[in-house]
Amino acid sequence: MPKTILEVIDLKKHFFQRNGIFSPLKERERSIPAVDGVSFYLKENETMGLVGESGCGKTTIGRTILRLTPATSGKVLFDGRDILAMPPEELRQLRGQMQMIFQDLDAALNPKMRIREILKEAITVHHKVSDAEVDRRTAELLEQVNLKKSKLSNFPHELSGGEKRRVGVARVLSVGARFIVADEPTSALDVSIQAQVVNLLRDLQKQLGLSYLFISHDLRVVELISHKVAVMYLGKVVEMGLAGRIANAARHPYTHILWSSLVEKQSRESSVTPANPRTGRWGVFDFERPVAGCRFAPRCPVYESKGKPSECTDPATEPRLRDPGDGQYVACHFPL
Amino acid sequence: MKDAPLLKIEDLRTYFYSRSKQAFIRSVDGVNIQIAQGETLGVVGESGSGKSITALSVMGLIGAGPGVISGKVGFKTNGIQKNLLQDLEDYVKVTVKDGKIMAVSKDVVGWEKNAERVMSKIRGKEIAMIFQNPKSSLNPFTTVGKQITEAIRLHTPTKGDREARERAVYWLDRVKIDSPRLRFDNYPYGLSGGMCQRAMIAMALACEPSLLIADEPTTGVDATIQSKITDLLAELKSGLGITTMLISHDISVISRLSDSVAVMYGGTVVEYGPTKDILAPDFASKHPYTVALLASIPSKENIREKGYLQAIEGDVLDTVNIPAGCRFYARCNKVTGAIREKCEQREPDLRAISPGHRLRCWLYSD
Repeated sequence: MPKTILEVIDLKKHFFQRNGIFSPLKERERSIPAVDGVSFYLKENETMGLVGESGCGKTTIGRTILRLTPATSGKVLFDGRDILAMPPEELRQLRGQMQMIFQDLDAALNPKMRIREILKEAITVHHKVSDAEVDRRTAELLEQVNLKKSKLSNFPHELSGGEKRRVGVARVLSVGARFIVADEPTSALDVSIQAQVVNLLRDLQKQLGLSYLFISHDLRVVELISHKVAVMYLGKVVEMGLAGRIANAARHPYTHILWSSLVEKQSRESSVTPANPRTGRWGVFDFERPVAGCRFAPRCPVYESKGKPSECTDPATEPRLRDPGDGQYVACHFPL
Repeated sequence: MKDAPLLKIEDLRTYFYSRSKQAFIRSVDGVNIQIAQGETLGVVGESGSGKSITALSVMGLIGAGPGVISGKVGFKTNGIQKNLLQDLEDYVKVTVKDGKIMAVSKDVVGWEKNAERVMSKIRGKEIAMIFQNPKSSLNPFTTVGKQITEAIRLHTPTKGDREARERAVYWLDRVKIDSPRLRFDNYPYGLSGGMCQRAMIAMALACEPSLLIADEPTTGVDATIQSKITDLLAELKSGLGITTMLISHDISVISRLSDSVAVMYGGTVVEYGPTKDILAPDFASKHPYTVALLASIPSKENIREKGYLQAIEGDVLDTVNIPAGCRFYARCNKVTGAIREKCEQREPDLRAISPGHRLRCWLYSD
């Protein structure tokens, strides 16, 4: 039985919006609940996919778990120890084991450093190592991420998208990470290169027993690489379960809409008939005017078809994530 | 008699001079494409294969910098075929010494004057373009409505601001923006990514162009918005019968919207023909690159083992040192002993293997 590496309990992150310098004197600031009570766990050697539209709080969860952004409340247990309550010195020692692959590698790699220096910095940041050891580690890392040795003397801008990705992965591995938050690792890559990166991540997981929190809005990739998937909507997890079940037997209307919006699944003929009822309306959600009750109700086709039942919009009965008995959690009054 | 195509690109070459490498970066290297009236042509390929540069060359937007364009872009306006690239080569002088390009000098002013003269009546009015990143393509300092009105006033014979405004609202409504009258006065930052994209489409269509070039219209937006943009384009296609050149690396979008497809690799078209022949999963004779590209899409049919995809090994072609043989040779997995020599040394031609379906591969020609 693989042991649990990460457990997130009721994690909240609210951002506060200040309106001018006198706003602290006013009654209250507007709070934007980017992450609003999220709980899940991740086992060793496991990949958890986190999906949702942009702005739903995926990246914020990733950053908060690693304590790159302070959380508002909640617990994040890494190997049974609460990261959020940890003194900085202790946290620093754990940092090497939990790492993030950032979304935008053009911003994450220092443009003035050569790849050799970037990797050397990563190798030496947590441990004192001799030059010979650095060379050995560098060679090993290049092997692991399948990058040519000749690229070491290049600058980041001279590498292609896929190669930059590989450097990002190598840098994360160099510090001995066991848990990796991969934030949109394949966005902005071509399908062919995306396939290379996905295969690489998968190979490394097999070899090194890594655990991933895989954040992406590309549903097809998430379905492919993850064991479990959590679907987020407006800061809340609305459905969580095994990847295959989420993709093919969704319980929450939102999950269903997400997966049926994949273009490949729609036939050419259906494209002519406008307003496919399953795909819902053009709702754009608004954090500043939160909806009472279920957050998804205004866009929800089930809510519409059931004749707008009152429990969906009653703030007292906001649906909670519950397990109907088979391990596929759903937060909905009327699961499909 | 069959009508002449609306757009006919013949042997288009767009090079950029790299001083440090003393060579040309051959972004587009001999492209032949034509689009008939009412047709949607999909252009697919990896980044760096020259899709966008082809579009920008057609639009006459390769002006600044040491860009060199040659070839012919025939475009039909009012029934007359016109070459949009006429005389452009006269403004460029290339100095070659010992096989190395020593300098490229370009009469930028003359080039741009000429391009402007030809293009100003066509760009925006006859050929409109939707750009990749809608948020950065809209002017952040003016309202969306003003930007659309400006295009309408400039390119169509509207009588006054009021009429132009009505046209703009009509188009905002047409692209399904909720409460178009309210959104008219919004600045781009107040709109979401999907709405900006729709505003861009409205702006492009408002002057009723005869050709629409859509450069990656669905990249970088969420899956839900992506499917809506695709729906919208499909609906506009069937409703208005608009001729479109659709550039994307998302094959699912291309296969849904386009009538014919051009697959580009390393600045050339490697396969060209009807969509049903090229992108159908079961079609047997296909260019190895197209096959590999289709196989790397994460879809149900392609996944053999959980967590793995069929990747195309290696990187996109370096367009400075283009090899003598087939451009895809280094990454191709279909090369067999008998044709290896040919693949390595000679570039195959674009050959027809069935009516309308052409491809550039030694496997299918001799």
